[in-house]
Amino acid sequence: MNANLVTLKKTLGRLTLWQGVLLAVLAAGLYATVLRFAQGLGAVTNLSDQFPWGLWIGFDVLVGVGLAAGGFVVAATVHIFRIERYEPIARPAVLTAFLGYILVIVALLFDLGLPYRIWHPLVMWNPHSVMFEVAWCVTLYTTVLALEFLPLVLERFHLEKPLKIMRMVFVPLVIVGVLLSTLHQSSLGSLYVIVPDKLHGLWYTPLLPVFFFLSAVAGGLAMTIFESFMSFRAFGKRLEHDLLAGLARILVVVLAVYALIKAQDLASRGNLHLVWTLTPESVLFWGEIGLGVLLPMVLFALPRVRASEGGLFFGALLTVMGFIVNRLNVAVTGMTASSGVTYIPSWMEFAVTASIVGAGFLLFALAVKYLPIFPKAELPPAGVDPVLLRRRPALSRGVLAALWVLLVIGIVGVAASSPEHKKPAPAPQAVQLLASHAEPAEVRLPEPYTFPVSGESPGPVTFNHETHAAVTENQCRTCHAGLFKITEPGTPVSGKLTYEAIHEGPLCASCHNGEKAFAIEDDCTNCHQQ
Amino acid sequence: MRPAKPAMLIDLTRCIGCEACVWACKESNGLPRETGVAKLSATTWSALERHQGVAVRRQCMHCLEPACASVCPVGALSKSAAGPVVYDAGKCIGCRYCMVGCPFGVPKYEWSSNLPTVKKCLFCFERQAEGLQPACAEACPTGATLFGDRDALLDEAGRRIAAEPKRYVARIYGQHEAGGTSMLYLSSVPFENLGFNTELSTESYPGMSWNILSKLPNVVSVGGVLLAGIWWITGRRDTLAQARRGEITPEEAMERKPPLVALKSVQTTEDRSHEL
Repeated sequence: MNANLVTLKKTLGRLTLWQGVLLAVLAAGLYATVLRFAQGLGAVTNLSDQFPWGLWIGFDVLVGVGLAAGGFVVAATVHIFRIERYEPIARPAVLTAFLGYILVIVALLFDLGLPYRIWHPLVMWNPHSVMFEVAWCVTLYTTVLALEFLPLVLERFHLEKPLKIMRMVFVPLVIVGVLLSTLHQSSLGSLYVIVPDKLHGLWYTPLLPVFFFLSAVAGGLAMTIFESFMSFRAFGKRLEHDLLAGLARILVVVLAVYALIKAQDLASRGNLHLVWTLTPESVLFWGEIGLGVLLPMVLFALPRVRASEGGLFFGALLTVMGFIVNRLNVAVTGMTASSGVTYIPSWMEFAVTASIVGAGFLLFALAVKYLPIFPKAELPPAGVDPVLLRRRPALSRGVLAALWVLLVIGIVGVAASSPEHKKPAPAPQAVQLLASHAEPAEVRLPEPYTFPVSGESPGPVTFNHETHAAVTENQCRTCHAGLFKITEPGTPVSGKLTYEAIHEGPLCASCHNGEKAFAIEDDCTNCHQQ
Repeated sequence: MRPAKPAMLIDLTRCIGCEACVWACKESNGLPRETGVAKLSATTWSALERHQGVAVRRQCMHCLEPACASVCPVGALSKSAAGPVVYDAGKCIGCRYCMVGCPFGVPKYEWSSNLPTVKKCLFCFERQAEGLQPACAEACPTGATLFGDRDALLDEAGRRIAAEPKRYVARIYGQHEAGGTSMLYLSSVPFENLGFNTELSTESYPGMSWNILSKLPNVVSVGGVLLAGIWWITGRRDTLAQARRGEITPEEAMERKPPLVALKSVQTTEDRSHEL
């Protein structure tokens, strides 16, 4: 009994907390996946006709592609600008990018209504569509990344000849990769250029492609720093502090340029007032720009911060968070007010997204284990537990506390400013709709109409709309316009409504046939007044 | 007999809200009658909204330059030569960019299907090809929906406004909105009170994307030359630096091509043995 417990504890003990979380997330994701493909998007997501793109496009695609930008930025730095000291981080950056793009494609398979047609854009062309261009670029760039990744596999299996060929084509490949990345990173922003009426003024601008490109460079660089810290913690890889500090210096410039153009663009479009008005949008905008752009820019500009590991990690984390908030602001927050509905992703949407992120971490770990991602010299000797190497936490307690405070401020800010915003927009419309249903009297029936009397008529016939049709029941169509033409009020009856037509044809007798209503011939005085 | 630019003039002041258009549409397109009529949906392609007691028809606007057709990556939605904006379900991948892109919020999706397609009014293009009017226009008992040539209908709309300036607001909705639509509305109540977006851009929506897309070939060619140039210059600079340090002779430096790639990125066993 006691022995059993000990064994159980040992088995459980091997599962670290994070592995347990990962397993739970993957299980939830699997459940959502089955439901998604068995019953459709409606069964799993909170998407609607008013809000057709949600978390999967906003996070999995827009954030996924952007954070994978480190691959092309580092490749360009090492191979085109030949700043070769950055080479040790080139491989992990390419690996992150390659995995990132594969996971974006997986996410698309979830989001597309007809995922088995994902190849259609390659065959059925529409060059006027930004998405067509993105589809081509992402396909080509994923191929380029696969080729940039290929040397690692070739090396692993000592395939010399293909390696020599790879060396010949490597630089053209990097150039093509940089061009493709420039195109589709910016084009993800261009996707929203066609919705000037739907995207909130804080984010809509024809310059969206420029902002998306710049922020992808920043997000990609920050992600490279972040990922080095993760590798340091998980695999005990040596931390190339000087290189990461160098990236942080580049980040200062990129973030400053971004902030400057953003301010200039808002001012020139006359939208600066939106920044200073308290709305959920402006709170999230400040979260994005203040905490995700300006704060890391200032921090990274300080040599003291760059010199400290905690400072580097914290700054990179802020930049990555700012990037994520920016993409979600464009895809979700900024589109909410115009949609007239409130979209909050379902737990299953979160589960799928979290599973995809989890799969990314898992695949990265597997690649590090089986492929020469890091130079041997940078990894701890075999048999040394990486955990022993990371005595110092990457984040000091003070920094962690600051992060929590920021998070709480953000949540409170959004919550506090929400109700204010919701009242003016959708409420009046709801009132209008109710009012219109309560007042059908606005749709008036025509006045009673008396037919002209012919010689033999036993008396004039007066047709009363009130007794024949209930507007609220939409009964106009019973007679109009198939049986009787509608004329302007006061127009005399045309020659067609003669005695013969009425008494022999299927006009009034369509209903006045003795079944639905009394038959015409039953009693003359039913209609003819004497 | 078929109009060159098929269009419909929808005079809201003549509409009695009888919903004949709604039901005729459902009948003509084989859509279930059970679902509501007050809101466009995957099974209601022509709806009748009521705003302040005014009945307002809603259906696809059939833009002259449709945003939906321009954003569709596979060309499933397209502006047919005859005029209607039509849909080829066989091409659709279900990305729903059309729903995001449409400034009028028209395309709807079959959310509860696991093989969903996009649904919207198709302007009865098959009936039009046979020389018939759209089902809704034919069913309209009051002539509130009038089918005809766009230019002729614009003239007619102008005449009506001029003849009864007190009856109508001086605006034909759809004349310029989103670059012009095939649906033209007249109203006695300001359009913004009837759920119409009166602040839509009058420029062509597809043009907004095309402004950017058309520049991409330049980005590629200039960018490609720039990157290759930087690569060559940085390589040359390294070679000259080596020569200055006396690692290679100036003659060698003249001859040498820029090194292809940072060595460690693509490393053969041979390279590794050199290092050791």
